[in-house]
Amino acid sequence: MIPEITELSLPALICAVAALYSCIRIVLEKNTLRKLPFLNVLTFAVTGIIVLICPTPLGIAAACAYFIGSTLESNAIASTWAKRAEKEKKDAQEKPDGEAA
Amino acid sequence: MNGILIVILAAAVLIGTFGAAISKNPFDKLIYLSMIFAGALPFIIEKGYLDMAIAAAVIVPVTTIITLQAVWRCRE
Repeated sequence: MIPEITELSLPALICAVAALYSCIRIVLEKNTLRKLPFLNVLTFAVTGIIVLICPTPLGIAAACAYFIGSTLESNAIASTWAKRAEKEKKDAQEKPDGEAA
Repeated sequence: MNGILIVILAAAVLIGTFGAAISKNPFDKLIYLSMIFAGALPFIIEKGYLDMAIAAAVIVPVTTIITLQAVWRCRE
């Protein structure tokens, strides 16, 4: 049986404040690459909340799976963005040369 | 779960939903989608469906990586 936490514990409050701050920063940030570190902060805070609301072995396994999966996801988005920006830069460099020739 | 946690996680889900609806950049949409899942997962955990939470935490990054292959070809 999962123990239910109804009183406000300080670690959960700190994790929740970090999650809210990172949500606000994700919305306000204009550059896509700068949103990704704050997405990582959000997922770390959510992992902490999961562990604090469900301190059982299976809950810790769920937090572990979520931690690994979300970090992999952010890294995949960042690496695809960087590759695409590199390709567009190369295309932009090649295009004026082609027009000049 | 206490009230402040519920309010903050629901705010994450709602902000992610409206951000994904409003934003034009496909990469931003994926980031907001990840934010929606981050807000929704503690509610699944809190009701005790831990096996479903593990499955969702493994499947959602895989779907994002598959979607990125389509986003790669999308011009702004």
